[in-house]
Amino acid sequence: MQLSFDPRPFDLLGGLKVWGVVCLVVVALAWGIAGLLMFLQSGAPGLARLIDLTTGLIRDFLQTSPRRVWALAVHTFREAARKRALWVFAVFAVLFLFAGWFMPELKQSPDMAIRNYVSFVLRTITWLTIPVVGLLACWGLPEDIRLRSLHTVVTKPVRRQEIVLGRIVGFLGIGLLVLLIVGSVGYVWIVRQVPENFGQVTARVPIYGELRFLTREGKSEDEQGMEASGVNVGDEAIFRQFVEGNTQARAIWRFEGVDMNRLQNGQLILESTFQSFRTHKGKVDQELLGQFTLVNPKNGVRVPLQTFFNREFRRNSYNVTERNSRGEGGKLELKDEQGRTVDLAKDVLDGGQLDVEVACLSPGQFMGMARPDLFIRLPDRAFLTAYGKGLFSIFLMLTMIVVLGVMSGCFLKGPVATMLTGFIFLVGRLSHDFLQQLTSDKLLDNPKLQMRGRGLLESLYRLPTHLGPQIEVEDNTTQRVIKAIDNIELNALWGVKYLFPDFTQFDATAFVANSFDVPWDAALLPNLATTIGFCVPWIIVGYFALKCRELEAK
Amino acid sequence: MSTSPENVIVTRNLTKTYRDFWGRPKVKALNSLSIDVKRGEVFGLLGPNGSGKTTTLKLLLGLLFPTDGEVSILGRPATDVSKNEKIGYLPEESYLYRFLNAEETLDFYGRLFDMPASVRKERTRELIKMVQLDHAKRRQLKEYSKGMTRRIGLAQALINDPELILLDEPTSGLDPIGSRDMKDLIIGLKERGKTVVMCSHLLADVQDVCDRIAILDGGELKVFGRVQDLLKDQGVTQIKTSKLPPEAMKEVEAVLQKHGSKVMEVDNPTATLEELFIKTVRESAARPGQRYIPPSN
Amino acid sequence: MSNLTAFQRKLVYVGGILLLLVPIVLLGSPPDANQEPSRKRPGETEVRVKAGSGGLLSRLRQQHELGEVSLGDVDPTSSTMNLLLLGFRGMATSRLWMDAQDQQKRKEWAELDSTIKSIVLLQPHFLKVWHFQGWNLAYNVSAEWDAVADRYYWVKHGVKFYMEGKDRNEKFPDLYWYTGDTLGKKIGRSDEWKQFREFFRNEPDKEQFPNGFDPEVNPDKKDNYLAARDWFLKANDAADQYNNRQRIMAEPLFRFYPARAKIDYALALQREGNFGEESRAAWEEAFDEWANKYGREEFDCPIGRVYMEVTEEEAQQFQAADQDKPEENLKTLHWVSRYQDMCNYRYWRTRCKIEGESDMAAAHRALFEAEELYRSADFDTAISTYVDGMKKYEAMLEKYPDLKDDDNTIEEVMIAQLFWRDALRIVEGAEPSDEEDFPLKDMWIKHQNRKPMLLEEFQRRQRTGGRTI
Repeated sequence: MQLSFDPRPFDLLGGLKVWGVVCLVVVALAWGIAGLLMFLQSGAPGLARLIDLTTGLIRDFLQTSPRRVWALAVHTFREAARKRALWVFAVFAVLFLFAGWFMPELKQSPDMAIRNYVSFVLRTITWLTIPVVGLLACWGLPEDIRLRSLHTVVTKPVRRQEIVLGRIVGFLGIGLLVLLIVGSVGYVWIVRQVPENFGQVTARVPIYGELRFLTREGKSEDEQGMEASGVNVGDEAIFRQFVEGNTQARAIWRFEGVDMNRLQNGQLILESTFQSFRTHKGKVDQELLGQFTLVNPKNGVRVPLQTFFNREFRRNSYNVTERNSRGEGGKLELKDEQGRTVDLAKDVLDGGQLDVEVACLSPGQFMGMARPDLFIRLPDRAFLTAYGKGLFSIFLMLTMIVVLGVMSGCFLKGPVATMLTGFIFLVGRLSHDFLQQLTSDKLLDNPKLQMRGRGLLESLYRLPTHLGPQIEVEDNTTQRVIKAIDNIELNALWGVKYLFPDFTQFDATAFVANSFDVPWDAALLPNLATTIGFCVPWIIVGYFALKCRELEAK
Repeated sequence: MSTSPENVIVTRNLTKTYRDFWGRPKVKALNSLSIDVKRGEVFGLLGPNGSGKTTTLKLLLGLLFPTDGEVSILGRPATDVSKNEKIGYLPEESYLYRFLNAEETLDFYGRLFDMPASVRKERTRELIKMVQLDHAKRRQLKEYSKGMTRRIGLAQALINDPELILLDEPTSGLDPIGSRDMKDLIIGLKERGKTVVMCSHLLADVQDVCDRIAILDGGELKVFGRVQDLLKDQGVTQIKTSKLPPEAMKEVEAVLQKHGSKVMEVDNPTATLEELFIKTVRESAARPGQRYIPPSN
Repeated sequence: MSNLTAFQRKLVYVGGILLLLVPIVLLGSPPDANQEPSRKRPGETEVRVKAGSGGLLSRLRQQHELGEVSLGDVDPTSSTMNLLLLGFRGMATSRLWMDAQDQQKRKEWAELDSTIKSIVLLQPHFLKVWHFQGWNLAYNVSAEWDAVADRYYWVKHGVKFYMEGKDRNEKFPDLYWYTGDTLGKKIGRSDEWKQFREFFRNEPDKEQFPNGFDPEVNPDKKDNYLAARDWFLKANDAADQYNNRQRIMAEPLFRFYPARAKIDYALALQREGNFGEESRAAWEEAFDEWANKYGREEFDCPIGRVYMEVTEEEAQQFQAADQDKPEENLKTLHWVSRYQDMCNYRYWRTRCKIEGESDMAAAHRALFEAEELYRSADFDTAISTYVDGMKKYEAMLEKYPDLKDDDNTIEEVMIAQLFWRDALRIVEGAEPSDEEDFPLKDMWIKHQNRKPMLLEEFQRRQRTGGRTI
């Protein structure tokens, strides 16, 4: 399990709020600057022109003709097809012919092998389609303008946004076609590549909970009155918190919406990927022992379950029904702490909320856990579902690239448009964490630590005075002024961050390759929201750029 | 701006200055042009290369924005997209999509006019026939000769049956027959009540088809008016006779002298070069095999 | 030309291309392979390229040993990747290396493994890369896993990685040696040596290895030390055959590993409580290998070549010849003894000899069994067995006094004493004082200073029986 893998539901409302604020700021800034320039150039008529342009935008978009957009889209598609942009298929086919050469053979566990196959396919698809579609999008309009073939189009009753939209839809058509073909080849390849005894590739559907801890004394707050946390055992990448064995330390997940009807054949299956950490050798040939306790927070029923051994770095599947059944027929028999027999549906799952407490039973040893390390497994979906959603995510990313490329093509020449698109893509892909870190006062890999001295002036002060980030600067007027100025620039940076989309979020490989279904609320919805959130302004920018551009001017 | 219904195009003080990167004026391509074009006429914009005629056309079409002055075209501002509904434009070189064939080209532009499929099909067929590209309608434009490209360019300009047709150098690159056909077409359009604005530096073309012309030079309007009026030189009388013997010639001279005039030039009348070329080609088509044999001494 | 049809023109082009191909083929055709280059038995070495075959370039390349083939097996993928990357393979490798470190930090083992594979595709002949990452897989990654079977998998994975590296660099002894070293030391000496050694002959993953052993790492179903020995032998062979010196350690040390593996094998048998004929025979063989094979091997030294197994007569001859030599370091026997010291030659020679004797085996067995009896709380029998064993031990020490200074002996004796005394305390309520007479008394008194450290080991064994010594 990857350490950074922690799917959380997307906060649509919060996202919209940020989007609205950023859009407002950008529009206000653009208006202000444009208005000022136009006023300086031609006085009041300049302002009138600005207002005219703005109302023209609304008028033009209202008059958009879908048929014309479609005609331009078909035209774009045809252009790309006739220019043999689709040769990329051949490259792809060749890659797969020789893919075996590049794939390491990991026979240790099926999920590792499947992970390698799936991520290879998805990665290849991403890196093959993006440059092709991106280049097409960046060069389409500039070439059209350079060859002046656009002149015969704009002298027809075609509105500028129709040209932008037509190009976008056309390139997306190409992208979609390429993606479908390449995706199907990839799918067949995966299915054939996975050895039979590994079982079918699948798409697991998890319910994740919220995680909290109890201290080794069994308290939910530590001595300082802070919320209890697990132990840090000194892993370099801090992700999991550890629960000490044979103490009252617990990790407690709260799951919402657990219902018998949603479960697989009425069986409660807990899947876990806990980490083991030993402070002494203990029993070398025996894994650490753990125990789940099911708790219904509504009626207080507590059901300790049969213990389990934690196989580290593997998917541990604990079927509550099977493991706690007795006798030949395998009838589920649950007893609460007082030894009374309880019913899974009527007592434990009543109310839809379920707490699962995890204890480590091996004395002196630790079990490490993070939020996504335990989930309730619902009935699987077909692998194709997850794979298709993975492709859809790639398609959304393609959409972003295409819109970005077409937009930059509206005011830049081909090479420069390519550079701009590539730049924004790379920043969004590689440096998003860095941008996040710049504008946040928390350290990403350990949110408990405060970041100090991020501001430009403060850093300039700290560097020569050798003040480390742990030390607070003294509180005087100069420092307050410095902080105030830094605040302005950090807020500006905060805004700038949102101008670069996070392209990493479109990578659904972590889900598909780990045999998870791609969730709607944690992956597809944010991807869709991001795509729309960026593409709408980009299209408007493209429209304006094309509208205000003298196509003839060289 | 006042526009009477018969004025299809009105410009007032139309000025275009190209600027450099820093916004400093570089070239004044057009200076205070004020002309009107009336409905149903063929209007010619003349001038040497770089005189501002193409700039004028592009300002009319909204491809360039004026630095100063105003344009009204079909009663609307040049930047208004909806005016394009009734305009056809043939660019200087036919900037078409080279990967399309003739039918696809016309179909594509037809779609941009939101024309229904049946109308598009019908118009495409008609226009291809009109510009005589039937034999090549399935070939991609990149295989076309210059003349064929011009003709398909004209066809696309007419796809929407426009009221106003703007032609940039319509006969450039055409052979004399093509040129003649083009001129016949323009006259045909005029007869159907269309307004045509063409710009050219070939005086003969303009002379043949235009009702009114404007001559531009260095961005300034030099001459403007009806062609017949402009070409008529009141100080010269041309007399055409059948072949005169030298004696008769002398007598004629004497008569002229008596009236205070004199012979400026005596010559056999010739047709223009263009006319001769067309005659020759036409005759050769009618009687194949005939050759011109130089007379022996 | 102009009146040819398009088809004829194309034919002419094809002809031209074929014509141009002729010199290319003559110059650049690759050498013929006279054997299927892929799956061979590990470590098998043969000259695969026929001398003088192929085009001019390949002949020259062979003559001057410039080709990749002269280093080992060539992987087509690797060559393709390097060709595609033009000159950027260094950069690409560095980038991958950082990725690998990051993945290791994040415990993404499958990803780490595939990154490592990419690295060696780019740098197939960089021995340090193979060494570092092979170790990383067999030691660092394996230790991260909790289940012993999982750990064993990654140890094997490291071994296989070394073996692959050996295929690419089969003319260099280094990776043969690392393969053997990991098979021997990692499997035989880890905390989990009991399980690992068992797994080596009896795979935990029965589904994948129904025969019980992994044909890739243990094709002959041997003991791990004997399998390691095969690899040490191959390392020495490769060094001899291709005249390539290893770059790991001093030559005399490197060469003793086949014999050393035999000793380790015998020691492992003893650790597992095997003191019968099998273990005695193993010691005997170890002695033979040590004294008669390794001991007669010659090594370079400043005055020529010397060997370590010097008989009495030879010693006298050398002494006679050395008499006139003015300086100590010009004498042959000086160098012989220096090399012997370096390799602890005499100790191991004696050890093998002693352990090969049945009395010694009996002594060990008695002490081992006594300890088992102690743990099963049969203290009376344990005491008598201890006394018996210690007496036998004492007799052997009288016979071979050198052993008295050997750490292993001291530890074995001291721990036996600790157990015996504890048993006496339990049964009789007191342990014998130093005034009384008891077997191995001299040793006990002499090495009292080691007692505190050995007490820990004693307590551990008391509880679990797990031996670390």
